[in-house]
Amino acid sequence: MPNLDHVEVGETTRIVDVPGDDPVSLRLLEMGLTPGVTVAVVAAAPLGDPLELELRGYRLSIRRREAALVMVAT
Amino acid sequence: MTERAGREQPLTVALVGNPNTGKSTLFTALAGIPTRIGNYPGVTVEEKVGRFTHRGRPIDLVDLPGTYSLRAQSPDEKVVSDVLAGTMAGLPRPDCIVVVVDATNLARNLFLASQMLELGRPTVVALTLSDVATDRGIGIDSDGLARRLGCPVVPVVAPARIGIDSLRDRILAAAESAAPAAPDLASHLSAVSGSRPAAARDAIARYAWIDTVVADAVRRSGPPRRLLADRIDSILTHRLWGTLAFALVMLALFTSIFRLAAPAMDLISAGVDSAAAWAESILPEGPLRSLLVNGVLAGVGGVVVFVPQIALLFLFVAALEGCGYLARAAFLMDRLLAGVGLSGKSFIPLLSSFACAIPGIMAARTIENRRDRLLTILVAPLMSCSARLPVYLLFCGAFVPDVACGLSWLRLPAVVLAALYALGVVVAAAVAFGLSRTLFRGPPQPFVMELPGWRWPQPAVVLERVREAAGSFLKNAGTLILAMSVVIWALGTYPKPVLPDAPALSDAERQGEALRQSFLGRAGRLIEPAVRPLGWDWRLGCAALASFPAREVVLGTLGVIYNLGDVDPGAEEGTTLLVRRLKAATWDGTDRKVFTLPVALSLMVFFALCAQCASTLVIIGKETGSWIWPVVTFTYMTTLAWLAAFVVYQVGTWLLL
Repeated sequence: MPNLDHVEVGETTRIVDVPGDDPVSLRLLEMGLTPGVTVAVVAAAPLGDPLELELRGYRLSIRRREAALVMVAT
Repeated sequence: MTERAGREQPLTVALVGNPNTGKSTLFTALAGIPTRIGNYPGVTVEEKVGRFTHRGRPIDLVDLPGTYSLRAQSPDEKVVSDVLAGTMAGLPRPDCIVVVVDATNLARNLFLASQMLELGRPTVVALTLSDVATDRGIGIDSDGLARRLGCPVVPVVAPARIGIDSLRDRILAAAESAAPAAPDLASHLSAVSGSRPAAARDAIARYAWIDTVVADAVRRSGPPRRLLADRIDSILTHRLWGTLAFALVMLALFTSIFRLAAPAMDLISAGVDSAAAWAESILPEGPLRSLLVNGVLAGVGGVVVFVPQIALLFLFVAALEGCGYLARAAFLMDRLLAGVGLSGKSFIPLLSSFACAIPGIMAARTIENRRDRLLTILVAPLMSCSARLPVYLLFCGAFVPDVACGLSWLRLPAVVLAALYALGVVVAAAVAFGLSRTLFRGPPQPFVMELPGWRWPQPAVVLERVREAAGSFLKNAGTLILAMSVVIWALGTYPKPVLPDAPALSDAERQGEALRQSFLGRAGRLIEPAVRPLGWDWRLGCAALASFPAREVVLGTLGVIYNLGDVDPGAEEGTTLLVRRLKAATWDGTDRKVFTLPVALSLMVFFALCAQCASTLVIIGKETGSWIWPVVTFTYMTTLAWLAAFVVYQVGTWLLL
């Protein structure tokens, strides 16, 4: 199953899970990246990292390393 | 309950909410200017309390730091949960909790709100930005929301003061009534696999519950509308246009703290000078006059002179934060700074430090992450500030040969000047990289940052930030900096010189002799073995020592120590005179010149890297809440400065001989 860091800029996908139990994964869940939520990768910063996401009607920026913790639908 | 028995007893109301929800605007609308600002005991989390009276009842409004969750992970979140539980020293348990909920971002804001409902305290939801939500086609049925949450929901538009009185009424009423029931997460919890950690299960179940609330309370009119504000975002985070706009904004910020502050700073200096002249005219010559003019007045001037830069920088930062650009700037710069262990939010504090490290270090308050903030503060003084520039200019102009470097217009002094600026940046990057992999090693620091919606900054909130920054600087750091300058004055003045009976001694020679015989001068001689390897004689060592409190005094000290009297570095003839005298200076008892190119370079490199600014160290102590960090900063910077000056002098001498 692909992870969010491999989703192209401009694409929209659905979150399957954030399976980790580390503090960063928990923070991502608390920020609303829960299973079933639609997320769009809106932009990437000029040097390719971090990413700008849109989910639950708001914009969130996370680094690719953190995006790799998020499993998304194909 | 007994705590509510007395009518005069103020109600304690806690204001909580996610960051970027208009919480500060709401605080100002409810309580005006805070009556108490400080830090919570033991942590550098700001405590802000405002008092207002509604229908004869005094109310203390406690503004808690913006937080996304009550999991008590960061010091901020720990403070929020302690205050709400009533376990924070000096604060009674709140009689009522006001949760700020951003109507444009309902689901994520309800996460914290639902945690509040579980605390068993009377709760009121203040629904902010509902006007913006309506513009975006998001209609919120606030009565329906109130029914689902089990607590009052008051739509407010804080800048226009809509709903403020009704919110105050609700607070009074809620404080007298029962707490709402906790949200029923049980059915949602059972749907999540039991093998997950409790916090993950809770988050997933909580959002599942929130989704049902949002489905009930939100009426979308048609597809989500793209506002102008949303389109601005696609330009300002664009690879090319975003970078260009960023460069322009930063250029404006930097020039303004560098140039716009200058007239105000000149005015302050002139004011202090005329006060000094006045004091000199009415007081008889003696220790009291010297203390007042050279100790106290110079100290007061040295403190107040920072205020224009601090005020301007915070005006910019608060306005950029208010409109949502601060987060975009961090987004754009993150990759660059993450490589050396910092984050995008370090950029503005570091850039500001090129003008002056003091406002820069204070601007690091915008970095929520403790580790990133501390690391930024520790390397900020390495940026070449404006006080180093006169030193660079004097020595580059006097001792670096004016020859072309490859291109006819590219002169060597300018190249050296640029190299000194670059040196600070490179060393800062290396130090940050090194520290983040040793002393500050730990779990990877998340960069999970909301990019808030674009909106107009609220003038009241911006001005409050400026007032607060300038006020806390004057109150907390100012007194210490003042005390320090009096101590330095005493070290440079005592013990009183024993002057030889030679009547031919000029005033300038007398001043020079006094400094040489003072504690400071003796210390300069004492450290001569330490500065010899840098190519310096004891006078230079003494001047460097005297400039530890503030590097800008070095030119004046050099003037005094080379018997020139007080040199005004701003005055043309003073500077040329100083240059001529420095060029003529020889080692004691020989005719060997003190200043050669390697000596000038080693001196400039030393000044580029050394922590010669007592005010910066005081600010580091205040902002980190610990005296360890100024000591660490001073030690590592002085060590690096000495080593670099040593290498430059030795290699330079070897190359030139």
